[in-house]
Amino acid sequence: MERNEIYDKLNEIFRDILDNDEIELQDETTANDIEEWTSLTHIQLIVEIEKAFNLRFTSEEILEWKNVGEMVDSILAR
Amino acid sequence: MVVNSFSFLLFFIVVFTVYYMPGIRQHAVRQNAWLLLTSYFFYSFVAWKMLPILLGVTIVFYWLGAQIKKEMDINNRKKASRYMRIGIVIGIGLLLYFKYLNFFAESVASLFNQIGLSVSWSTLNIILPVGVSFFTFKLISYVVEIKRKKTAPAENFLEFATYISFFPTISSGPIDRPNTFLVQLRNAHLFDYSKAFDGCQQILWGIFTKVVIADNLASVTSIAWSDYQDQSSTFLIFAILLSPIQVYADFDGYTNMAIGVGKILGFDITKNFDHPLLARNVSEYWNRWHISLTSWITDYVFTPLCLKFRDYAYHGIMMAITANLILIGLWHGANWTYAVFGIFHSILFIPIIYSGELGKNRKIKENKYGLPLVKDFFRMILTYIIIGIGHIIFFAKDTYSAFEYIHHIFTGSWEFVRPIGFSTIAFMLLLIVLEWTTRKKEYALQIHKRFTGKRTWMMLAIDYLIIAAIIWFGTFENSQFIYFQF
Repeated sequence: MERNEIYDKLNEIFRDILDNDEIELQDETTANDIEEWTSLTHIQLIVEIEKAFNLRFTSEEILEWKNVGEMVDSILAR
Repeated sequence: MVVNSFSFLLFFIVVFTVYYMPGIRQHAVRQNAWLLLTSYFFYSFVAWKMLPILLGVTIVFYWLGAQIKKEMDINNRKKASRYMRIGIVIGIGLLLYFKYLNFFAESVASLFNQIGLSVSWSTLNIILPVGVSFFTFKLISYVVEIKRKKTAPAENFLEFATYISFFPTISSGPIDRPNTFLVQLRNAHLFDYSKAFDGCQQILWGIFTKVVIADNLASVTSIAWSDYQDQSSTFLIFAILLSPIQVYADFDGYTNMAIGVGKILGFDITKNFDHPLLARNVSEYWNRWHISLTSWITDYVFTPLCLKFRDYAYHGIMMAITANLILIGLWHGANWTYAVFGIFHSILFIPIIYSGELGKNRKIKENKYGLPLVKDFFRMILTYIIIGIGHIIFFAKDTYSAFEYIHHIFTGSWEFVRPIGFSTIAFMLLLIVLEWTTRKKEYALQIHKRFTGKRTWMMLAIDYLIIAAIIWFGTFENSQFIYFQF
């Protein structure tokens, strides 16, 4: 899967879960950039992303992400 | 040596003078060395027996941090994890030993006694562990953040030791994180007039809420918590209604003083409160109360637990929240009351979680008169009362007394009492009004940005009024901060 395809899917999930249609994810995006992205919605996002891409992240992986780009790297590495 | 004491003032004048002396102020290393020296002096002043332990764990965690970084750099995650775990175990060990050992010994002994075995267990004479809950959390955070690649290790031992022992926050927080604090130790701090002025305003406001509001209310609540059998129902209810303001004015007062002292030295200390009296439910309350502790627990306990339980949806969140709140409760000390306090609050989360409201940070709106919406207003009052009821458990000497307190409310007399003077009532109302009107500021007395540097006569007049109120209405008997004991 290409990086931009992943971004298309991720944007859809983020907009849906966070209920904000203006979200446009980039490599550098972090939770600080999106108000609705809290420690709780973070968990919901992960559950949905895992479903959508049919994979399972490890807790260690998740806790080490610094931004969306690193999350995409994790998805690409599968 | 409490922050609002004469001895602290003397201590701080010495710290300040040397810190900004020519020859010192241009060099981060010299300023840090001075801060470390004075911090250790400050700490010895309150708990000299703990100083070797503080120094010992600082050395160990500095070394662990370096090892974790080294292993992560060569992608040896297993080894890095092992070093991190060693750090966590040492940290938890410190807390268990200094805060909880007697509690376990007593609980086990009473269990044996209940099943008929007589055990006389002399509790260990453990020294008063001032600040241990606060610096241990900084130490743990340091190793975990390096492992999670969220922060780089300290550049040298001096920097790390100064971060851990920084005197304004060592006794009662706020708990600064390494990624925001260590960088502040890398450059020398030249005296910044507007920042120092801001710090002084914050200290003044802190002293005001502490000695004028908190300490005057403490005379009511402390009688109620300890001597509830002899009080009327009215008095006991008064205490419940006064306690959230008292505890807030006390802890926020301390925090403002600590942050203000930090600002005078050129530091930005993390915030601890965001207008908790405006919380519309307990979830909002915990987002606004003791933020440096709750965010610590969120990052290192709640989020990992939620990830583990993520397949169980709302039940998973409920489990994580319950574990969290019990932990927050027990962080305050070894007593079953703190655990019950945590359970009490987690029960209040049930409707919030299962209705899907949790985490939806709805902004507080105001109506055309600049007041809160009626619905929000009633929710704030209800939350306030619930927090007050929670304090019955929090401040009871044991769980039995908490239930007896409630029992007394229903069986006691209803004679009218007016436990506090009109001036204290007026100051409480002032605090509540300011909580609303200055909710976008860091603290109530903070001067709007455009005034910075230009002291208007109005501000000066307000400052003098506050000082007059402190002298006139303040309580100056040997008062202690509630959070000093944690």
